[in-house]
Amino acid sequence: MSPDKPKLLDDTIVAVATAAGVGGVGVVRLSGSDARRIAVEITGRRFEARKATLAEFRDAQGELIDSGLVLCFDDGASYTGEETVEFQGHGSPVALQMIVDTCLAFGARLARPGEFTERSFSNGRMDLAQAEAVADLISSGSAAAVKGAARSLSGVFSDRVRDLGDVLLRLRVYLEADIDFPDEEVDALADGEVERTLREMLERLGVLLGEAQSGVRLAQGASVAIVGAPNAGKSSLLNALSGEQAAIVTDIPGTTRDVLKVDLVLNGLPVRLVDTAGLRETTDPVEQEGVRRALAQLTDADLVIYLRDASAPLLQIPPAWLADALQVMEVWNKADLVDEPDAGMVSVRTGAGLGALTARITEALGHKADASAFTARQRHVQSLRACVAALEAALGIAVLRQHSELIAEEVRLAHRHLGEIVGEVTSDDLLGEIFSTFCIGK
Amino acid sequence: MQHPNSYDVIVIGGGHAGTEAALAAARTGAQTLLLTQNVETIGQMSCNPAIGGIGKSHLVREIDALDGIMAKAADAAGIQFRVLNARKGPAVRATRAQTDRALYRQAIRHAVESQPGLDVFQQSVVDLIVVGERVRGVRTQMGLDFIGSAVVLTTGTFLGGKIHIGEANHAGGRAGDAPSIALAERLRALPFRVGRLKTGTPPRIDGRSVDFNVMEEQPGDEPRPVMSFLSTQADQPRQVSCYITHTNERTHEIIAGALDRSPLFSGTIEGTGPRYCPSIEDKVVRFADKTSHQIFVEPEGLGTHELYPNGISTSLPFDVQIAYVRSIRGFEQAHITRPGYAIEYDFFDPRDLQYSLETRAIEGLFFAGQINGTTGYEEAAAQGLLAGLNAARSVAGKPAWCPRRDEAYIGVLIDDLINLGTNEPYRMFTSRAEYRLRLREDNADQRLTPLGRDLGLVGDKRWQAFEQKTRGLAELSERLDKTLVRPGSDLAQTLFAASGQSVSKETSLAAFLKRPEVRPEDLQLALGDVDVGLLLQATIELKYEGYIARQADEIERIRKHEKIRLPDDIDYRSVEGLSNELREKLEHHRPDTLARAARIPGMTPAALSLLLVQSKRRAQLGG
Ligand SMILES: Cc1cc2nc3c(=O)[nH]c(=O)nc-3n(C[C@H](O)[C@H](O)[C@H](O)COP(=O)(O)OP(=O)(O)OC[C@H]3O[C@@H](n4cnc5c(N)ncnc54)[C@H](O)[C@@H]3O)c2cc1C
Ligand SMILES: Nc1nc2c(ncn2[C@@H]2O[C@H](COP(=O)(O)OP(=O)(O)OP(=O)(O)O)[C@@H](O)[C@H]2O)c(=O)[nH]1
Ligand SMILES: [Mg+2]
Repeated sequence: MSPDKPKLLDDTIVAVATAAGVGGVGVVRLSGSDARRIAVEITGRRFEARKATLAEFRDAQGELIDSGLVLCFDDGASYTGEETVEFQGHGSPVALQMIVDTCLAFGARLARPGEFTERSFSNGRMDLAQAEAVADLISSGSAAAVKGAARSLSGVFSDRVRDLGDVLLRLRVYLEADIDFPDEEVDALADGEVERTLREMLERLGVLLGEAQSGVRLAQGASVAIVGAPNAGKSSLLNALSGEQAAIVTDIPGTTRDVLKVDLVLNGLPVRLVDTAGLRETTDPVEQEGVRRALAQLTDADLVIYLRDASAPLLQIPPAWLADALQVMEVWNKADLVDEPDAGMVSVRTGAGLGALTARITEALGHKADASAFTARQRHVQSLRACVAALEAALGIAVLRQHSELIAEEVRLAHRHLGEIVGEVTSDDLLGEIFSTFCIGK
Repeated sequence: MQHPNSYDVIVIGGGHAGTEAALAAARTGAQTLLLTQNVETIGQMSCNPAIGGIGKSHLVREIDALDGIMAKAADAAGIQFRVLNARKGPAVRATRAQTDRALYRQAIRHAVESQPGLDVFQQSVVDLIVVGERVRGVRTQMGLDFIGSAVVLTTGTFLGGKIHIGEANHAGGRAGDAPSIALAERLRALPFRVGRLKTGTPPRIDGRSVDFNVMEEQPGDEPRPVMSFLSTQADQPRQVSCYITHTNERTHEIIAGALDRSPLFSGTIEGTGPRYCPSIEDKVVRFADKTSHQIFVEPEGLGTHELYPNGISTSLPFDVQIAYVRSIRGFEQAHITRPGYAIEYDFFDPRDLQYSLETRAIEGLFFAGQINGTTGYEEAAAQGLLAGLNAARSVAGKPAWCPRRDEAYIGVLIDDLINLGTNEPYRMFTSRAEYRLRLREDNADQRLTPLGRDLGLVGDKRWQAFEQKTRGLAELSERLDKTLVRPGSDLAQTLFAASGQSVSKETSLAAFLKRPEVRPEDLQLALGDVDVGLLLQATIELKYEGYIARQADEIERIRKHEKIRLPDDIDYRSVEGLSNELREKLEHHRPDTLARAARIPGMTPAALSLLLVQSKRRAQLGG
């Protein structure tokens, strides 16, 4: 009936630290008092500080994942100011993810967006200018994480997590009402209802966890939507980047009506490129529908490329339409039609600037690597697992039909873990629920 | 005229907050004055004659651990004692005492009059003397000024008090007492946010007109618990029973038919009442499908026939009160001695206070009790003790003592109030305390008495008793750790006989006791010569050990966050990345540390990171 051994205070966090795939090298960073121990588990060797060592990376079952360099930094001498280990793999997103998973299996916790940086200046390793930059990073990162989480939780999944949250809340209402209002004819443990509910929760969580985990493995690449006024060259850009004539291109504004998606790899980063209908106010019902669909893509994408026509600089889309996008990158096309094109302009026709554009895209996505839907979902899996562990402990006590305060404690923890996904429930919320469920009080 | 004496601390109000405040200030050596409307009502219970209950008894034990008076008075006046949640775990067990109203008042008054360094004066306060932003004293009704370095205001439900019975209402502080109108007006002119709350009380009934034979008798518990760490059963008076009866469909019909005459539903009452203490008309409306509600019929005292029917508080017109009371089983012939009523009163937004309970706006002025938006004697007394102590400390130039949430229910109470404010009368529940497994009745002394001793609150008598208990506990723990139970030994057999549990390998008594199936009584049988109280406590510590260690980790993390201060003037609306909802909440609550921000509903880890950056950034800009 004792809970798990307490976790270490400065728990060790892990995340992919570079944009996956960029430059062919990917880095997984591990920071905290357990970093070295975990590195030894994964590689089976020991390391000197600040010396790159070649090693094989193996998962918890001893299967080879990848090989690469390992760099260790001592407490006080790293970016975060804590003991830190960096694994430099070959950059395949899947391999990097497996390294992260292995670190989790050995006791690390997935870092929150910006948490490395947060630790860094918590430990006094940053000056003011850097802190300013970091604030921006975390703020865009957390917005991205919120949207990313919402997306990873789309539809049924989020509904089911919420349903489970409701079941848990009802369970807590009974447990807490029984404790705080013993005169009110509630007996939470008497009829085995608590046990039944716990078993049912665990079963449903098991199913959900299975699905969420497979969701993590299947995670597609980042999505990049190309939007802009009609005729800006959106379809042409999609064709150019994908290297195939996937989309119809004409000089008639309003050519594209449907949403077109092409999966490709940019600099080693898996990307789903989305072509959309040109955005303008229109009365044509078919085109209206196209605009509606384009706008939906815009809110869903990790990155929105807002393509402008350099030969028609006044042509714009209503800025409000971009407000819901996670991240917008303005790109000027048709550089070949202007006399003195600015740096950064591209011409899809001549191919000028397309290489640089590709780099900009992968970089923009890379910055958000730790906030993508992918990571968000993985974080959810961790929360679900912790929730399961707490509920199992609760069930272990509930079968004894006593100690409802200990059941309540485990269920409180379980609820907090679920709250990491769908929002925290405070004791006041709980009391409010009790008062509306039972006629309490004298 | 100015009174020739001047004081360190002046306490206004002789209720539960005021008496603990005055006693605490005086115990730490401050020259203290208790100013109250009427000396006869010192320690008066305005409503239910009972002390303790779930969550509340935890506060009472903490007050006791700091050598306050409430628990001792409850023992001296208690005429029926129960342990609530007796069959649940020790962390949520709670002692409740039905008290004799007169004996309780007497015990409090006796303590006040015996306290060295504490003067009492009967007079209503009409004004505060404020010079600049500092309080200098008070002025009473007869134009008498008292000079004091700190003032603790504990005027309960009296500020702007308005009593409702049906369509009729009048000004009043509680039945039979005048309200404080002049003082309320004066306070409204000061820079405090003021709101209105409401609470109610049931009609009282003459016991001679009640048929107890048709009611369920509820005697006190045996063995009979005590409230104070220092009391024994010998300190308690004669014991009596309470009774239980129920409302029925007829009762509900009568009430439903009279709702248009209820000030609660006609909109005459603007103040918000407590959801957990609804009036009977509220229950009938909100839980229309329930055809019956429990009523606890509680004696008001040993020297009176009056009864307190707990569960039917009301502000319905008096003719309706007679009708619905007489529809209840056993009350068919009931004679009402005092009508039920609701009272509305001013309270101050507790977010305008510091954690010491000193107001932010006026130096030296402290608020405690019902005026801070709480309800209940215990909640009031806990605040009173803290405010009295901190008022005395501020005068002596010492830092305030502000217990944390993981140290005491008092800490939970103060933190909830000051961090989140309240929009209904705030009552304590164990579910408000996330660390309730460690904040127990049984260990309140271990948590707080040493601190109280350092603060100068704890007298020698309690300290000696505490030291003796601590020694006994240490000896017992050692014995439990060192005594080994070998399979087949005599001890193993005795233990098996007592508990039905066998040992398969050598086990310490402590480990044996830790098993969920083993009860401390089993061990007592086997060991014979141990103190039951100590054994019980040692058992509790052992059984909760793992959980408490796990919480310690959580607490440590929070303490780190407590050190990170959030400047007063952060413009949360301009912090990028926060959701609008959180921005609003942060603007509203303005938490002073990251730990407090974390307790705002809906707070997320990412948002906390952002706040951390803000605080660091500001610190660097500033320094
Ligand atoms: C009708 C009613 C129903 C209630 N119902 C419940 C309930 O169901 N459950 C519950 O837990 N609690 C209930 N309470 C609340 C409980 O009585 C209070 O919470 C508790 O008494 C508050 O203690 P206090 O010390 O803050 O104030 P009080 O006990 O109200 O004491 C205030 C003191 O201040 C004095 N005073 C006031 N103004 C002045 C002045 N200007 N100058 C000098 N002295 C002054 C008064 O004489 C009095 O001694 C009820 C109260 C009332 C009145
Ligand atoms: N000169 C020049 N013409 C270009 C360039 N890129 C695209 N075009 C031409 O611009 C016209 C529109 O191109 P599309 O790719 O169909 O444009 P779109 O943005 O997809 O247009 P809609 O689907 O109608 O919204 C075609 O005639 C393209 O050949 C460029 O870089 N330079
Ligand atoms: Mg097109």
